[in-house]
Amino acid sequence: MTTETTLTAAPSPGAAHAAPPPDRTPPAAGRRHRRSWDEIPRWQIYLPLGIYLVFTLVPFYWILLFAVRPAGSTSLVPWPMTTAHFEKVWTERSFGVFFQNSLLIGVAVLVTTTVVALAGGYALARFDFRIKKGFMLALLCSQFVPGALLLVPLFQIFAELRMINSIGSVIIAETVFQLPLSMILISGFIRNVPYSLEEAAWVDGCNRFHAFRIVVLPLLRPGLVAVGSFAFVHAWNHFLFALMFLSSQSKQTIPVGLNTLMGADSVDLGALAAGGVIAAVPVVIVFAFIQKWLVTGFSAGAVKG
Amino acid sequence: MTIFSGGRRRAALALALSGVLALTVAACGDDGSGAGGDKGAEGSGKGKITFWDNNGGVRTDIWKEIIADFEKAHPDIDVEYVGVASKEVQSKYDTAIQGGGLPDVGGVGAAMLAGIAAQNALEPLDERIEASSLKGKLNKSMVESVRSAGGQGELFTVPTSASNGVLYYRTDLFKAAGLAEPSTWSKFYEAADKLTQKDKNRFGYTIRGGAGSIAQALDAMYGQSGIKQFWNGDRTTVNDPKNVAALQKYAGLFKKNTPAADVNNDFTKMVAQWDSGEIGMLNHNLGSYQDHVKALGTQKFRGIPNPTLDDGTRVQVSNPVDGLGLFSSSKNKAAAWKFIEFAASHESNSKWNRSAGAIPANTEAAKDPWIQETETTRLAADVLFSGKATIVELPYYLPDWNTISKADNEAEFQKVLLGRSTAEQFLDALAEQLNTAQAEWKQQNK
Repeated sequence: MTTETTLTAAPSPGAAHAAPPPDRTPPAAGRRHRRSWDEIPRWQIYLPLGIYLVFTLVPFYWILLFAVRPAGSTSLVPWPMTTAHFEKVWTERSFGVFFQNSLLIGVAVLVTTTVVALAGGYALARFDFRIKKGFMLALLCSQFVPGALLLVPLFQIFAELRMINSIGSVIIAETVFQLPLSMILISGFIRNVPYSLEEAAWVDGCNRFHAFRIVVLPLLRPGLVAVGSFAFVHAWNHFLFALMFLSSQSKQTIPVGLNTLMGADSVDLGALAAGGVIAAVPVVIVFAFIQKWLVTGFSAGAVKG
Repeated sequence: MTIFSGGRRRAALALALSGVLALTVAACGDDGSGAGGDKGAEGSGKGKITFWDNNGGVRTDIWKEIIADFEKAHPDIDVEYVGVASKEVQSKYDTAIQGGGLPDVGGVGAAMLAGIAAQNALEPLDERIEASSLKGKLNKSMVESVRSAGGQGELFTVPTSASNGVLYYRTDLFKAAGLAEPSTWSKFYEAADKLTQKDKNRFGYTIRGGAGSIAQALDAMYGQSGIKQFWNGDRTTVNDPKNVAALQKYAGLFKKNTPAADVNNDFTKMVAQWDSGEIGMLNHNLGSYQDHVKALGTQKFRGIPNPTLDDGTRVQVSNPVDGLGLFSSSKNKAAAWKFIEFAASHESNSKWNRSAGAIPANTEAAKDPWIQETETTRLAADVLFSGKATIVELPYYLPDWNTISKADNEAEFQKVLLGRSTAEQFLDALAEQLNTAQAEWKQQNK
């Protein structure tokens, strides 16, 4: 039996453990003075960050270098520059097709994961039902099961559904594997939206769905961006399901294509690097656009669960 | 109210779009039929067949050319090419054997042949070869190697090519240091020492410490010990004291004459750093020859067979022979066989091996002029087929061979390189695993 959670009367779960207000009393004599942010010399901030940045960016520089310098060059700077590797992977190695497939899978997983996780997350946040705790536990436990373990059963299920070598099989498998975490995250975001807002919308004549759509959904934007981007990036990068469920060259994805650039005894490093750049660009663009919402979204969902 | 009716329209639209999407993504799938053990059918010899390339990507172009030639010669057969990355092909086959979706024809290297054949996924091919244009035209030692690798006394693939261990060395660095060609192990170790200048980031050798290290270590070990058999009765010779001493010496090169990062070297990293740095020597096989040419040109390096003992004795381990298998579950075996026969024919086999720099299995293709013009391939072919070398046959027929030679022992070999274990401890453990696997295999094949 399902009952509605009355969150208006009850204090939020986090309130009992709310952090105390910051201590504004001056430091006692002999107590070490804690420096404010403005007092820290800039180099103490930028030097560690700079070192970290070098470690992070050098591999990217290396990939770019191999991607744009001619085969056989040992130059450490990308000059003279060539686009030959990009042309090769995009046309000869079918990365143009792989890119479209990855994009289709990524967008479809984003949409389906977000929509289903919204519905499931709402139920988890707003309703009490008998097996709720067990269900939440099952969602968490499902995160510990590696995809490889379920490969053969999934393969057989899709074979029964005549979906082997169909992009739909990858979309379904990716969505199913990402739903638990997405539902948990979204239920956290929804709990942060006061229930009284929905109740006010009901008083104004909305039914539950419309109250949700008009009042709650806009407030969930950071969380949806976080969950959606997470789903997209995961689907974009995931390799195993596409490798196993798709056979036709015309249906393969970027990670599978990248893997084929490394032969048993031979590897075209220029093409591999160019393929790596092509694979990375959409993810970088996605993160560049959603960075603001992503940080807000994850932190909002992480505080209350 | 307007909002609500608009919302209904949007909801209906969303549902319709979802339906279209679902239909789109679910369309064009298949049922993945064709699991290991399925009997399949001979078929009409026409229609569509699927071919899995076990080294997809790097060999895609040449396969597409051969497929185009085939479809021109057999207009009623359509070949669907599927390139599978070499690292993933074993798991792809294993999943398809369990769950269905095997191709009609697939590239199957000798190293994975026993495991696939043991699951009844491959058709024995002796009779088909006897009745075909390939009769008497396949290299006998490759045929025997593949037969042995299948582990059941039958021929499960038509051999197409062989590789061989090659010692690549930088002629420019050797010349500058006044060193002779590293044709013997003594000269090899001398050169490794003389070419190492750690302060200038120059090293005499790059060792394979990561993925694929075991076969290379075994090659160096048997080459130095001169032991000519892998088995002495039912016991392996890998932990023979001569082999232990040889491996200890070889592993001693690590960090002394090699970069410290070599402990994680798979062939990609090893080849990349040799092609882009100043490292004197590299052991690999014929497969990377074209990569070296692209990086260094033809004047800065040579590829010669692995070194001999000082008295000229040459011992080396066998390299897996590549081949094409006909899958038992195929519903169009007649057409699939036509494709195999065509791909292993003189012209196609020559074309493919020339592109890969490998040794053709078709004896007519092996006589083509390009082999004489490519020194590294010619020298390797000479070693393999002239009878001047003793080939220690690795037990590819053991279904556990891949596990033993990769997952179970690559990390153990890294311990030897890092000095956390001795060559003796490593080889004793390896010998134990091999002896057990051999005993089990014998038991199963009584």
